[in-house]
Amino acid sequence: MFPFRHLAAALLCTLSLGAGAQSPGVSRDEIRVGSIQDLSGPIAMLGSPVRDGMLLRFEDANAAGGVHGRRLRLLVEDAGYDPKRAVLAARKLIQRDRVFAFLANLGTPVVMATMPMVVEAGRPHLFPFSPHESTYLPLHPLKFQMFAPYQDYMAAATRHMVDSKGYTRSCLLYQDDDYGLEVMKGVEAGLQEVGQVLHERTSYKRGATDLSSQVARLRAAGCDFVVLATVVRETVAAMAEARKTGWNVDMLVTASGYSAQTHELGGAAVEGLYGVAVLPHPYADGASPALAAWIERYRARFGAAPNVWSAMGYTVADLFVQAAERAGPELSTASFVAALENLHTDADIFGGPRYRFSAHDHLGNRHGRLAQIRDGRWQLISDYLH
Amino acid sequence: MLSFVQVLTSGIAIGCVYGLVALSFVLIYKATAAVSFMQGEVLMVGGFTVLALNVGLGLPLLPAILCGVVLVATLGAGLERSVLRRALGQPHLTAVLLTFGLGLIMRGAVTTVPAASHGMHRLALPFGDEPLRLGALAIAPQHLLVIVATVAVAGALSLFFRHTRAGLALRACSENPQGAALVGIPVAAMHTLAWGLGAALAAIAGVLLAPITFVHLGMGLIALKAFPAAVLGGMTSLPGALLAGIFIGVAEALAGLLLPEGGKDVVPYALLMAALLLFPGGLGTALRQLRR
Amino acid sequence: MKAVHAVLALPAALRNSAAAVLGIATVLAALGVDYALAQLAMIATFAIAGLGVVIIVGQAGQISLGQGALLALGAYVQALLVRHGVPALLALPLAVLAGMAGGWLASLPAQRLGGLYFAMSTLAFALIVEEVLVRWSTLTGGAAGLLVPPPSLFGWSVESAAAQAVFSLACLALAWLACHRLLDASLGRAWRAVREDEGAAAASAIDPLRAKRSAFLCGGALSGLAGALYAHWIGFLSPEQFGLLLSFELLMLAFIGGVRTLAGAWWGALVIVAIPQAIAVLRDLLPAAVAHTAGLEAMLFGVVLVAMILLRPQGLCGPSPGR
Repeated sequence: MFPFRHLAAALLCTLSLGAGAQSPGVSRDEIRVGSIQDLSGPIAMLGSPVRDGMLLRFEDANAAGGVHGRRLRLLVEDAGYDPKRAVLAARKLIQRDRVFAFLANLGTPVVMATMPMVVEAGRPHLFPFSPHESTYLPLHPLKFQMFAPYQDYMAAATRHMVDSKGYTRSCLLYQDDDYGLEVMKGVEAGLQEVGQVLHERTSYKRGATDLSSQVARLRAAGCDFVVLATVVRETVAAMAEARKTGWNVDMLVTASGYSAQTHELGGAAVEGLYGVAVLPHPYADGASPALAAWIERYRARFGAAPNVWSAMGYTVADLFVQAAERAGPELSTASFVAALENLHTDADIFGGPRYRFSAHDHLGNRHGRLAQIRDGRWQLISDYLH
Repeated sequence: MLSFVQVLTSGIAIGCVYGLVALSFVLIYKATAAVSFMQGEVLMVGGFTVLALNVGLGLPLLPAILCGVVLVATLGAGLERSVLRRALGQPHLTAVLLTFGLGLIMRGAVTTVPAASHGMHRLALPFGDEPLRLGALAIAPQHLLVIVATVAVAGALSLFFRHTRAGLALRACSENPQGAALVGIPVAAMHTLAWGLGAALAAIAGVLLAPITFVHLGMGLIALKAFPAAVLGGMTSLPGALLAGIFIGVAEALAGLLLPEGGKDVVPYALLMAALLLFPGGLGTALRQLRR
Repeated sequence: MKAVHAVLALPAALRNSAAAVLGIATVLAALGVDYALAQLAMIATFAIAGLGVVIIVGQAGQISLGQGALLALGAYVQALLVRHGVPALLALPLAVLAGMAGGWLASLPAQRLGGLYFAMSTLAFALIVEEVLVRWSTLTGGAAGLLVPPPSLFGWSVESAAAQAVFSLACLALAWLACHRLLDASLGRAWRAVREDEGAAAASAIDPLRAKRSAFLCGGALSGLAGALYAHWIGFLSPEQFGLLLSFELLMLAFIGGVRTLAGAWWGALVIVAIPQAIAVLRDLLPAAVAHTAGLEAMLFGVVLVAMILLRPQGLCGPSPGR
């Protein structure tokens, strides 16, 4: 008895159930959307809330009768940040599950390894979480992005900070991966616009435990402004280390460090930290009734409070739903892409930016705003920076 | 000079955590000849267990830590009874892979809890965040806690191995299992004890790490630094493991301060390579030779 | 049960190939051709890397925790050459050479170290290679990564899953033949002698150092080849892909398959690459509420690993404990 036979029977069964739809992923009563996430790897802390946010938006749409009568189904594959598993996951979603589009694939190695295959198969590649320009440039009919690479936000934010506060020795602490490099490019570009150069830079490896030597180095260089290309934990560690040693330098963190966790974990040490916000954090305290209801729904559904990543997941899925609604009852890849290219969104419950796409520009938003931690929570201190 | 001392103390504190995890590797290896690759995940489970008891069930911190460490020790002992026992007498890598698989299961299991996978968590210290000032030098309380606790754990372990029946029996088991069995020491029970103690040490390291890096899914990665420490310490020497852990922590911190940018990530491993080549038996052996 | 014994009594090679063909056919039919073939390409690629582990660990008895770095060398050399217009087939031998050179470097500490200490030195070697790949960003693209075009053979671009699978299987077959000859030759005997007892090997005029070095050269060459293929199939290289996790995955692969035999590499690759996919496919059959649990797949994969090691501690191809 080979176990293969049982396996084969089971698999054939599911295959015959899935077949029969006309255009990929769209049947009379269902739209299938694929997403390659990290639910078990190094950035699972992003992957889980993003996925839950997307699920919630799709479930909301289904509860309201679906999109033109079709129910939305999200098929999530866990690649654990491993490009090998991602490539296979993409093939599975394309061929076996026949998804209509890919939504919010997570992680640069994952996105870069699978994007060619996805667009080759004629599926829209929507709003991946990767700071790579190639996710929307050069213009490709199937590639859409909703957040600019960190570069654009950081250039504007750095320029704004240096302009208004008169810093002369700006420095950078960065994670030595693609994320850190993107930020460095942005900071350098922003400084160039005000006729300055980066005074000192120092890096750490992802997962580093202790940043005392990096902070000591920056301090020795006499920095009067430090940009942090860090994620939550390193942001707190860098701020805490600086404050502990009595160094009250101004620090600005990227959107990756703009998280309620930063002040929940950092406490008094991170008070006064500047941050770049693209999407405001969904605070339950002081939320609008719509947002409060959303937070409650999320909590009831997933058993955890939503964070800024949940809001992003929800927004990403919301853009998909809006475009699919506009595409009309005859949903096809062409009609969907045309609808997305004309999508101008209204303000959402999170107070996020309005997204604008056009036939010449597949990047929905380029502008972030400045925030600062005051009295233990992020407060927005500027409008969108241009 | 001040920043040098400042960075040095941070390095020592982090090195103590490496050392504690390295201790747990060595303890298990000595008693059962198994290299455990799940200590990092056990550390993570330890952090989350204490967190769940403290925040979830509302236990005060100290009882929560005690209960948490005991629970994790029971988990380690239970795994030995049910699974790891079967790896006895198999080649090294069987235990390595088995523990790696168990680590995956633990990690997956913690991930299924949404509250755990959604973010990082803070384990509140009873004495706040205000740094201790010695002149111009500022030491974070969590760093001080790590150093003090490590010294206490090392002292307790040393007393345990010298003056208690179980400790002496465990030592006998590590030195000579057949001989130990002949004189009536229950070797199998000693193995269970070793895995339990190893798990407890990892859990303690997790609790000590919690105020520094917070409790999150990836906190077990620190074991990647602790394993080199265990080997550098000689794999069979408990003080060697602790010292090697501190050595790696300090080397890493100072390299970041003194060497050109980019050097600091290579230096611990370059040093490790150099130390291995200079003292092929590990720091433990070198230490013993020095003493003679 | 009789059927099981009948199947088990067949010569191993026949049994394995029959099972492989049956398995491949079933999977092809059930999954959809491209998905299955892409898995096949990945399995063959990882099996080549697994052969490297079998030679270094299984034959010569050395623990290498730095296999990922050897793959990285092959992958980066291949990628850089192809990006500069060198035909893929010409670049391939150079990638293999790069792997060999890495293997030679990694084996140098064996002059002074043995056992776990030597294993640690291979780990240090791997981490240093990874760091160099990050820092030498003018050449390697650093942490931002490097795009790799698909290989083209005589003007024919190897892009489809089927072409990838055929190309990988051809490489695997060549590598397999080479390994087979090596294991039967005096080199193979020297490796096994060193594995069993270094002192005895030295006493019978086998230089243990040379044997270890040659094992690392061969293992490095195989890793270089696997790395080159990996670079093409993934299409994007970044240093973090070749970290300790990959080295570990390869070790696990060889041990699950059976580290002493060449066939172990194939079976191990099948488990490491295909089992997570099988879990993903089977998960889809579960009710949505359960299937949507994060961490479920990692947990199940861990369970499969533990079960396999408990049931077949010598690997799928090793002697089973009952016999």
